[in-house]
Amino acid sequence: MLVLGAAAVAVLMHAGAPLLQAQSLTSFAGVALLAVAAELLLIRYPLRPEYSDRGIWLSVSTPIVIAVILVYGWQFGVWLDALITLLAGAVMVYCRSTRARWVAVNTFQSILSAWAAGIATAMVFETRSGVWNLQSAGALGLGLLVYMLVNGALVGMTVALAEGVRLRWVLAQTLLSLPRDILLMTPISFLAMAALHAYGAAGLLGVLAPYLALRQAFVLAARQQELYHQTIRSLGFLVQRAHPYTGGHLQRVSMWARRVAERLGLPPDRCELVYEAALLHDLGKTVLDERILNKPDRLTPEEWEEVRKHPQLGAEILRDTPFLAPIIPWIALHHERPDGAGYPFGLMGEQIPLEARVIAVVDAFDAMIGGEAPNQRRPHKRSLSLDEALAELEQGAGKQFDPKVVEVFRQVVHEWRAHREARAGA
Amino acid sequence: MQGAWWAFGITVASIAALAYYAFVMLPARIHRWRCDGLRAFARLIELRTQGRYGKAEPMAELASAVAQRLGLPLHERRRMELAIYLRDIGMVAIPYHILNKPTPLTPAERDLMGRHAEIGASITEQIPGLWHVAPIVRLHHVVYSEQPDAPLAAHLLSALEDWIRIAESADVDTAASVLKQGAGARYHPVVVQAILGEVQQRALDGVQSLTRSAALWL
Repeated sequence: MLVLGAAAVAVLMHAGAPLLQAQSLTSFAGVALLAVAAELLLIRYPLRPEYSDRGIWLSVSTPIVIAVILVYGWQFGVWLDALITLLAGAVMVYCRSTRARWVAVNTFQSILSAWAAGIATAMVFETRSGVWNLQSAGALGLGLLVYMLVNGALVGMTVALAEGVRLRWVLAQTLLSLPRDILLMTPISFLAMAALHAYGAAGLLGVLAPYLALRQAFVLAARQQELYHQTIRSLGFLVQRAHPYTGGHLQRVSMWARRVAERLGLPPDRCELVYEAALLHDLGKTVLDERILNKPDRLTPEEWEEVRKHPQLGAEILRDTPFLAPIIPWIALHHERPDGAGYPFGLMGEQIPLEARVIAVVDAFDAMIGGEAPNQRRPHKRSLSLDEALAELEQGAGKQFDPKVVEVFRQVVHEWRAHREARAGA
Repeated sequence: MQGAWWAFGITVASIAALAYYAFVMLPARIHRWRCDGLRAFARLIELRTQGRYGKAEPMAELASAVAQRLGLPLHERRRMELAIYLRDIGMVAIPYHILNKPTPLTPAERDLMGRHAEIGASITEQIPGLWHVAPIVRLHHVVYSEQPDAPLAAHLLSALEDWIRIAESADVDTAASVLKQGAGARYHPVVVQAILGEVQQRALDGVQSLTRSAALWL
């Protein structure tokens, strides 16, 4: 962070002089206008610092910053970007949605990115006389590309350092969305540039309207995509409420499964899928006769046969839902055992997907400790303490459970318990 | 300024393309995603009732054709399609042995079965982003003479569900005559007209392939 800050301050000082001497009043008005616009946008839709591809993510001010760089020069762009990020960040700190430290980091990052974009465009685009030509459009695209590459790399490094996520995954996420983002931003940036060139800062007002409308559409789309994940989750919950003892079980299992997946180094979007798979892992049970599932005494062999169908039934339910295709095998195989004694297929060791092994461990563990409310306890077994259950898992490691997953899970449980005790103490 | 006009044209065109993407293509794709997601729950009910309820595919296709014929706007057709996938979701709460009872149901059991629409609607109401579908789920067995001012989409589902069930168990002509008899009493007359019109307009082999595919689904 210190390095970032020093570099950013150096860039600002380097840029500082021409700005203070030569900028006209309209340009300052432009800065004010843009900063206010960015501020308002951020209040309504705080940008998430996530690299997840789950939502459609559009940066607020990048197209306009690049346009400003091309029309007024990079010095101006750098200052503008710094100001926007800082102001918007200040508002977000005021709204308690982020911390001052992150705003500083963000500001440094945007200063450096804008500077890199300015240098790159200055190499191909020198004259500021003509805007309506291919050269300027190319320079614009290049500027956007460089800005987002540098910004993506810097953000990626920060996220990787701060959250212990692997840098490679963060960068891959950034690179994947890059072509789409550039394609979306270039026309708007071009229009902004033309308007700035022709009418000065006031021209931006004309660009702002279509820009806001489009942004609104994408934000809505992103939110709707969020909604559809929520749909899956809430339907998972609601449907399984039909079987009372699965209530709190599902929440814990999916939370733990995701944490174990993270610890095992799976990519973030994969971990999210593991969460969803853990939530839906017993979906097949909703198809079965609840008199068997809720039966307090031992099941007859025929009844066991029925119960053992539930992994495949769950897979069958999700068969026609393409976006859940990756989790279908995990659900179908969450009762397989590494020693080959599981059902439905009796697969061995590595034949079982890692995610299914994770769900198997977490599911079995939570079943052993039983739910917290009396009606969440499994009817046919006595519940164990955390330590007893962990010991049981370790006993089964290599036979019933994957030893590596058990090892990681033990750490997760210890952490969870420490956290819970700390909270109870406080 | 030579290049000004084509550059301006390209910019405007690409913004128009963006707008088309954001306001037309994206909503359509999101709708498909939602249908994909809800299809799982239609299949759940189908598996739970051994194929007797919850089937959505044959119905969704026919229903949207009829709805177009009725002139329902796009958002209403989408709402109806989501309701088709969710309409029987309330059956998760109906005991298994009643759903799968081989002998005819007693009046009390039939009463319980009849509550699936209400239960399904209250489940749907709790799903963020789907509350607007709940009224149609609640009324998907609506009787015209009792609630003539229910949404047209609900009347459509009510009549179409019966038509498909009778067409599968008996034949298309019987189904058509049942609908005609019930028009104005049990079924909405305009809906009956639209359904029968659609069915007639489809060539005979089209209808046969529909019932055949419905039979394959069993």
